[in-house]
Amino acid sequence: MNDLEHYAPDVETLARRLAAVDYLVDEGLATSLFLSLRLPQPILLEGEAGVGKTEAAKALAQVLETPLVRLQCYDGIDAAEALYEWNYPRQLLSIRLADSAGEKLSEADLFGSDYLIRRPLLRALEHPGPRPAVLLIDEIDRADDDFEAFLLELLAEAAVTIPELGTIRATHPPVIVLTSNRTRDLHDAVKRRCLYHWIDYPNPQREVEIVRRRVKGASETLAVSVVGAVGRIRDSDVQKPPGIAEAIDWLRALELLGIVELDAEALERTLGSVLKYGDDQEVLRALGLESLVS
Amino acid sequence: MIALDLPPLVAGFGRRLHDAGLPVTPERAARFAEALKLTNPVARTRLYWIARATLLSDISQRPAFDRVFAEVFGTRAPEVQAPEGEAREASDDARPGTPREGESGIGAPGAGRGEREVESQEAPVPVLASDEELLRSKRFDALEPDELAALYRLMTRLEIATPKRRTRRSQKARRGEHIDLRRTLRGSLRTGGHPIRLARKRRRIQPRRIVMLCDISGSMEPYSRAYLQFLTIAGHDAEAFVFATRLTRITRALATKSPERAIRRAAAAAPDWSSGTRIGEALRTFNDRHGRRGMARGAVIVILSDGWERGEPELVGREMERLSRLAYRIIWVNPRVSAANFVPRAGGMAAALPHCDALVSGHSLDALAEVIDAIGAERGGEPPPVPEPEEEEEPWASATPQPGSSVAMPSGYGPARGRTTPGW
Repeated sequence: MNDLEHYAPDVETLARRLAAVDYLVDEGLATSLFLSLRLPQPILLEGEAGVGKTEAAKALAQVLETPLVRLQCYDGIDAAEALYEWNYPRQLLSIRLADSAGEKLSEADLFGSDYLIRRPLLRALEHPGPRPAVLLIDEIDRADDDFEAFLLELLAEAAVTIPELGTIRATHPPVIVLTSNRTRDLHDAVKRRCLYHWIDYPNPQREVEIVRRRVKGASETLAVSVVGAVGRIRDSDVQKPPGIAEAIDWLRALELLGIVELDAEALERTLGSVLKYGDDQEVLRALGLESLVS
Repeated sequence: MIALDLPPLVAGFGRRLHDAGLPVTPERAARFAEALKLTNPVARTRLYWIARATLLSDISQRPAFDRVFAEVFGTRAPEVQAPEGEAREASDDARPGTPREGESGIGAPGAGRGEREVESQEAPVPVLASDEELLRSKRFDALEPDELAALYRLMTRLEIATPKRRTRRSQKARRGEHIDLRRTLRGSLRTGGHPIRLARKRRRIQPRRIVMLCDISGSMEPYSRAYLQFLTIAGHDAEAFVFATRLTRITRALATKSPERAIRRAAAAAPDWSSGTRIGEALRTFNDRHGRRGMARGAVIVILSDGWERGEPELVGREMERLSRLAYRIIWVNPRVSAANFVPRAGGMAAALPHCDALVSGHSLDALAEVIDAIGAERGGEPPPVPEPEEEEEPWASATPQPGSSVAMPSGYGPARGRTTPGW
């Protein structure tokens, strides 16, 4: 706790330190992350795809100089994949070895920590410190209700219960960041235990700054026109508006091709790095690519 | 510049938010107070963000939150662009039960009938007793208000079941396709560490999600009351939307035990009762905002609409095509199909038809049975995943010698079970 106080004494310092690791935050996000560290409380981040939800957790881990433990959620994920599993081949082998050596092996031996495979949640809880690990539970909306219910103990108590071992309580409760793409409503019980922040698209100036930090050596004029074009694409009628991640990919592609000025032709050549749907590319071509580069 | 006396401030603000429909619990209020102590809010924007991080639980609550914040602290929220639509959608959610314009859609049959096309109608027979038989076959648009209530009761007997899909989770099954090491090992402890019996597991099978989109425009008005009720019985994993000129998600509004209350709340959530129809527009919003993100993937989609489209039919066709690429099956329920001389001429309907897997009428309670059959149908050519009947845990082999056998054999390996060798 006191250590976190040292790393995040106030909102401004945290924002500055995040910027130092190339993650630029506005006041809203800075305040939310600060509170999440200091209350401490898990934080749920939502926002359009590619606004930097996952990056937020990575940046926090960098600032705190601790490992980032990431759990990618998917349909059907369960405790064996998220928390722990027993090492069955090893258990079997031990049984046979003990058998041939004429030793007695008790169940308690077999279900000891030697035979435990630690999945991300357990690794985050058992992180020895001195500072807590950052636990990223990514795209929680992809998991099912059962898994959400399973997470409640972790979110509220920073503890999990393993039937064979008992309750494992974190000595340094991890900083927990959850992200969701809103494919479904999360259960109220999960939300109740979390702070909440919706990450918006940044304003153009900030976005220029962000992409330039990510693509080292990119010229400002090119970055400005890329961000401008991405903004206009977001306002247009596309199904999948490009996020900051796409803007970065795009700028990187342009740099690689040695393009210094964004014109309709350059846009045509690199459109695939911004728009990943054929339909969306058609929409833009119908609008006229020139209209995107003013 | 902020009042220094914290507790009353926090309590008052929390209460105002609560009144505005935000789920502000004492727990959250306490967290807010603690956050204020931590940060010493020097400016209103800071205060705003602290309050938002601690008291908000969904971006959809933002408009209500901003309004109350402005009322209490006398300042506008910092300019942040709202995610378009999300915010709007939610400001309705945020105030359940608030009466709105256009709510008349439910209680007042007869409003907005002007748009209806003339069709074969039964002569209005006055019904005194709600005879169940009669009610079952009666067209929804010919129902009297009190009959509607009776209909609701009958409808709750219907059961909707969707086709099954395999999930990634597994369950134990005697003849499952995978070996369950965990259980095998547990069992082997009883046979001296020899995994004699292989426990097996198989992927669990679950019903598919059902997503219902109900047209509540003027032309559908006589049916939409009954159809909304149908939405409420769809069960646990169902998603429900209504649309006329815009799309409103009413899943949460319907999540209550009392059907009357559910429908009242749903009506309050949708501001466009009995107005014109923009099916294409609504489908696009659905695809963009919900379907593509995962809600429609592998789901059974039920669209309840007469297909009368104010906008361009091409858009309906295009969006239906997108939807059909995501969904498992699309079922279109159109009460006009029951008319003897029905041809799908209405622009939207004609454009949508090629992408529908089934077109059914559902104009009366009896006809809804057909809808339920269509929902439960498998996609053509695909064999349904056969759910193995729930079986009891297979008793673990005991090492006690069987009477009459000369070798100590675990039970269950006799030839009577049709296997001569253990399966490993």
